[in-house]
Amino acid sequence: MEIRIHGRGGQGVVTMSKIIAEAANLEGYFSQSMPFYGAERRGAPVVSFTRISEDPIYRTSQVYYPDILIVLDPILINFPEVFSGLGESSIAVLNSGSSADVAKKVVFVDATRIAIEHGLVVAGMPVPNVPMLGALLSSEIPISYKTMLEVVQKHFGADERIVSSFNEGYKGARRKTCRFTKMHFGHKGVMECEIPISTPSKGVAGRTGLWRVVKPVVDSERCNGCMSCWLHCPEGVIVETEEGIEIDYAYCKGCMICSSVCPKNAIKHESEMGVVQHAH
Amino acid sequence: MLIKMLTGNQAAAFAAMNSMVRFVAAYPITPATPVIETISKLVEEGIMEAKFVPVESEHSAMAACIGASAAGLRTFTATSSHGLAYMHEMLHWAVNARTPVVMVVANRAIGPGWNIWSDLSDSLSQRDTGWLQFYCSSVQEIYDTIAMSYRVAEDVMVPAMVCYDGFVLSHTSVPVEITPLEGFINEYQPKWRISIEKPLTHGNILPPDAYISLRKAIHKAHRKALELIPEIEEEFFDHTGRSTPMLYETYRFEDAEEVLVAVGAVASEARIAVDILRSAGVKVGLLRLKSFRPFPSQIRRTLGDRKVTVIDRDFIPGVGGIVYQEISNLVQSDSMILGVGGADVTAEMIAEAFTKLVEV
Repeated sequence: MEIRIHGRGGQGVVTMSKIIAEAANLEGYFSQSMPFYGAERRGAPVVSFTRISEDPIYRTSQVYYPDILIVLDPILINFPEVFSGLGESSIAVLNSGSSADVAKKVVFVDATRIAIEHGLVVAGMPVPNVPMLGALLSSEIPISYKTMLEVVQKHFGADERIVSSFNEGYKGARRKTCRFTKMHFGHKGVMECEIPISTPSKGVAGRTGLWRVVKPVVDSERCNGCMSCWLHCPEGVIVETEEGIEIDYAYCKGCMICSSVCPKNAIKHESEMGVVQHAH
Repeated sequence: MLIKMLTGNQAAAFAAMNSMVRFVAAYPITPATPVIETISKLVEEGIMEAKFVPVESEHSAMAACIGASAAGLRTFTATSSHGLAYMHEMLHWAVNARTPVVMVVANRAIGPGWNIWSDLSDSLSQRDTGWLQFYCSSVQEIYDTIAMSYRVAEDVMVPAMVCYDGFVLSHTSVPVEITPLEGFINEYQPKWRISIEKPLTHGNILPPDAYISLRKAIHKAHRKALELIPEIEEEFFDHTGRSTPMLYETYRFEDAEEVLVAVGAVASEARIAVDILRSAGVKVGLLRLKSFRPFPSQIRRTLGDRKVTVIDRDFIPGVGGIVYQEISNLVQSDSMILGVGGADVTAEMIAEAFTKLVEV
């Protein structure tokens, strides 16, 4: 069985992958957890692969045709490429309050809400992996409730919040049969390079606005146009327009340096994750 | 038997601890850093009885390891890519100094362009320093190989590198048997050491004839390692119940008309590629080369007159594949370059490339 987990840095993708592999091993299977490492950063897209098998595992490559696909971040559900390689019998396990036609068999639970309600929030970011591990038991994963909970507690401690959020994910998971059309993705283009030189260009690291956990919002009433934010922004996403300061949210990573350096306290923190932020 | 979910890097740290390593000097570099982090924690918590020295560079790391080894301590370090390249001078030094340091290398591409992913060019290009080099294909093998490497290195007095694909093996977690190693490996008994009680000069001036003699002695040590390794493998099997090859292994070889030769994590995928090709009627087998140095030239007989294709996850401009170059010295062979700079290598990809190669 091959599993692929998508999420964003800080949501516990790698830990989740490892817990599944460890629990599967306790159930008597061979298992493997293989995270993919790129630009590690809170909020950046993260992928990890888990394999479970009755026979020794010789694969050292990534998972392209998952039997189970887990999406820890609700925003990522809107990206078709996340679901690449799903077949007729694949199961999608989504962190979502509602189902989506992404696979024939869909398991869904609002794990972000559960995480927030149980205080599983780290630096403003809800960590939905524990309730999602509970929800995963409603898929065809060959792991018992008892074993999964045992490994979860081994990793996170026997904290009541952990156990209850795991249970809520387990009980709250809904399973639905959906309309599913197999998607086909063409080959990604090959990047050519003869000399390793480049010039700065917009969006070379992708739509980095997706990495954001907190969003800076300019209060134009308070802003005096000193441009300190523009000077300090490491991403160059702050521009001066006739209407005042504007932020390009497609690429703003939400580092909030602009807010820290604003002498007029005119840049507010707004959550992207449904969590109330502390005022600046 | 203690079984733990460990990454390749953690397995390396536990192997060093259980191999009774008493000195570690290291400088962090992705993707080998967690080896050092784990060791530093184990030492700090008093679980591993060793001196840990966080030095200011890889060059210093190897220099410190050479010194500690000469002083009679079992010594360990870990590095990768640019870190290994920066050690280059000291790698030569460790060989001529006859200090049996064991070092793990989490293989990574060398920049620029900046690339942190698996590519075996970093350690393969250190071939001519004279280190022993073993390439692992699984996380368990990293643990086992470190233990056996100490036995080999200390017997023949040549340092050894235990290499494994960065991220692909270094960061992948699997259940690992953390077999206690006492009995298979005991406290280091150096054949000589520098000490205050019995002063001696180490690394002294050697006139040409003595220098030639030293270099020949190291050459013979490689030969001796080849003879010694099968005995050590057997002892390791008796101790752990695991049959972990150190020189090479074959898969579906008996009736094979063609052979894939592969190294590292790619060799593990190649095993599945052989199954795929076999089910399509191709009579192909696999020879996984584990020991790059000492080079097991007896594989010439093993390969026989089969048609050979070498897979390299390394690439040297002007040369091509380094493993291909070595195998070509023994038998005529074809070359396949796959997975350079961390490109993912699947069994299907290997099978497809092999089929195309045969067609041409």
